[in-house]
Amino acid sequence: MKFNTKDPAANPAGIFYKRGTIDLASGEISMADVPCRNLEDVLGGFGRSFQDLAGRKIETAYCDENPLIVNTGLLTGSSVMTALRTYFSGYSPIKGSKVGRPAAMWSTGSGKFGAKLKWTGLDELIFENRAEKPIYVVIRESEAGPVVEVKPAAHLLGLSTHAKIMALQQDYPDAHFAAIGQAGENWQNNYMGAVALSTENQLKSKEDKCRFAGRGGMGSLMGYKNILALVAQSSDKPGKLSSAVKRANLNVIKGGGSARIQPLSRGGGGGTWAAYDVLQEFNAVPLNNFRPQGNDLPEKLFRENVECEYDIKSEACYRCGITCHNNISEKRADGSRGEFLAKFDYEPLNLLGTNLGIHAAGQAARLIQLGDNYGMDAISLGVTISYALAYNQRHPQSTILNGATFGDYAKIRELIIQAGEGQLPQIGQGSMRLSASLAETAYAYHVKGLEIAAYQPETNPGYIWAIAGGHMSMGSYGLLTREGKADIESWVKGITEDKLHIVGFDMIGLCKFFDIAKGIGTQMVVDCLKSEFGFEVSIDDLRAAVRRAFLRGLALEFRQGYTKAEFCLPAEVHENPNPHIKLPNITSPEFIAELEKRVWQVFEPELVGLLD
Amino acid sequence: MKINVKLIGLFQTGRFKQQELDYPVDTKVQDVFADLQLPQQHFGFALINGIHAARDAVLAEGDHLVLLPLLGGG
Ligand code: SF4
Repeated sequence: MKFNTKDPAANPAGIFYKRGTIDLASGEISMADVPCRNLEDVLGGFGRSFQDLAGRKIETAYCDENPLIVNTGLLTGSSVMTALRTYFSGYSPIKGSKVGRPAAMWSTGSGKFGAKLKWTGLDELIFENRAEKPIYVVIRESEAGPVVEVKPAAHLLGLSTHAKIMALQQDYPDAHFAAIGQAGENWQNNYMGAVALSTENQLKSKEDKCRFAGRGGMGSLMGYKNILALVAQSSDKPGKLSSAVKRANLNVIKGGGSARIQPLSRGGGGGTWAAYDVLQEFNAVPLNNFRPQGNDLPEKLFRENVECEYDIKSEACYRCGITCHNNISEKRADGSRGEFLAKFDYEPLNLLGTNLGIHAAGQAARLIQLGDNYGMDAISLGVTISYALAYNQRHPQSTILNGATFGDYAKIRELIIQAGEGQLPQIGQGSMRLSASLAETAYAYHVKGLEIAAYQPETNPGYIWAIAGGHMSMGSYGLLTREGKADIESWVKGITEDKLHIVGFDMIGLCKFFDIAKGIGTQMVVDCLKSEFGFEVSIDDLRAAVRRAFLRGLALEFRQGYTKAEFCLPAEVHENPNPHIKLPNITSPEFIAELEKRVWQVFEPELVGLLD
Repeated sequence: MKINVKLIGLFQTGRFKQQELDYPVDTKVQDVFADLQLPQQHFGFALINGIHAARDAVLAEGDHLVLLPLLGGG
C-alpha cells in the first residue's frame, strides 16, 4: 500500500492499495494502485471486497462475472499479534436467497499465506472469468514490484488440501500456500468447499495442520474458476516491533481478551473447546442435530475426558502468542505423542462430533481430519449431515442416502467421503437445498441458507442478522448464556450496536481473539495504526467504518433477493421448543416478532443509499 | 451458612467439581471466588440457583452457586 496521508478517515484517497487483476479466460494480468474510497477500503478485507461485489449484478454463483477476490487487511503481515488474515470474497454457491440469487460472502483464515501475500507487495487479487484447464497462481516479489504468474496444475488434481500444499512446497520451499481440496474441484456437486492456508508448523512437520477459510463455499468458487492453489513467495518482512505494538501485543496476551483461548499450561482457558463445559451447564451443547436432551453425553468430549486417551498440544500460527490450536494426536502406550489427528476447536468438534451423535474423541478427530483434507467447511458439512441423520431418525422406513443415523461412525464417514469426492450433491449442496427437496425444512439448521455454528439458536437470535453465517459475523452468541440478558432492550442494543462490531476483524487483518469482546474500535488498535502507519484515526472513525461495512452486507442481502421473512431461525426452535435448555426462552414467536420490529427500526433507515 | 458450590471447566483443576461449603452470612459471589483462589482473568459469570448473578450478589443459606469461566467463540 502507499500512504500519502496520515488521516485515512478524512482523506482515504490519499491511500492506495496494490491490486492485481487476472483474467483467467484470456490470461491477461494487470496491476493498479487503486485509491481508497473510504476507511473501509483502507482497512481492507470484506470492508473493501463487498463494495466491489455490490457493483456487480450476479444471478448465479457459478458464472464468469462473479469474481473471486483474495485480499488482506491493513494490518496483515505487520508485527501486531494475529496479523495473518487472508480474505476470500465472492458471491456464494451455498448461501443464497429463496429466489435463487447468491449472497455475497467472505471467508477468512490465518496461517502464514496472508502475510506472505502482503510481503510480495500485493494487497488484493481479483480473479475474473474462469480458466479452461486447472491452474495454480504464483504471486512473488521482485525488484519491480509484485509479479503474478499462472501455471498449469494438472499434477495437483485430485489431491487433498494438505497433499497439494506438500506437492507445491517441493517447488517453492520459501513460499506459503492456499489450496482447495477435492471438494472444491467438484464444485458442481459441492458448494461448501473451503480454502486451506498453510502454517509454518505444517510445512515443517509435514502434518496436515492447515488453517481454513471455510465459510460460504469460497473454495468451490475457486474450484469453479479452475484455480487449485495460490502460492505466495516472498522473504519474511515482519517489520520492527515498536514499543506501542509491543504494548498492544502484551495486552492481547496478558489482558482478558485472549485469556480464554490460551493454553491451560500457560494459565489460559484452553481454547474455544472450553465452551463445551460452559454450555453443558445449560444443556445447550448441540446434540443430534441441535436437540440437546438434558443428559451428560456431551461430557464425553470434555477436554478432561479426551486427554486421558489422546495427546493434546497447544500450537500457534507464525509469531502468535495466543497459541489457539489444540492439536490432538494419538497417545502411544509409553505416553509419547503418536500420529497427528486433528485440531479440536469448538465448532468442528461439536458439529462433527456430539451433534452427529459421535461421542468418541478418536472418531470425531478422524471426521474432522477427513473434512479438512477434502477441503470442506466443517460447519456446513456437519450441519447438513446432522440434518440427514435427523431425517432418517424420523423416517426409519424411508431413509435417505446410506441410511445413516446418529452415532453411526462408519456411515457418517462414508457420507463425508462421498460429499468430498463430489458424489453426494444432497450433502455437498447444503442443508437448505436438501431440506427443501425433502419438503421438511423446520429442522434444517441454517439461517439465510448458511448453516449455523455450534451455538443453539435458542440462545442466539442474533444469527438472524449475521451477514456471513454463524456467530462470527454477529457476536451475540454469549449475550444470553454468558451475560444473562433475556430482555428485548439488551438484545436490540446488542444486535444493533455492540455485537456487530465483531466483523471489524474481518477487515483489518487480525484474528477475533485479538479482542473478541470489544472489536477493533479500541485504543489498542488506534495505537497500533499510529505506530505502524502514522495514522491519526479515532475509535469513532473505526467504529463508523465497521458499522457501514456491516450494514452494506445487510443491504447486499436485500439486493440479492432476500425478503424479511427469510431473516429467521429454523422453525423447530419456535414450533417445538426444547424443554431441556435451562435458559429463559428468548425465541418465542412473540419475542422474535418484537425483536425483529425493533432491530429493523434501527437498521432500515441506515440501509438507504448504502449501495448507491 | 451452607452454600453448594459447583465449579465448571478449568476451575475444577486442583479443586473439586461440586461441594457444600460453609461461609459466613453476607458472603458475596466474589468472596467465594477469592476464597477458592480461582484465577481472576478467567471469571466469566456466576449462577445462583440457575439465575445469572453479579459478582457482588449476596448469597443466602442453601444457595446453589455455579462459577463459570469465560465463553469464547470459534
Ligand atoms: S489467534 Fe490462533 S488462529 Fe489466530 S493467529 Fe493466533 S494461533 Fe493463529
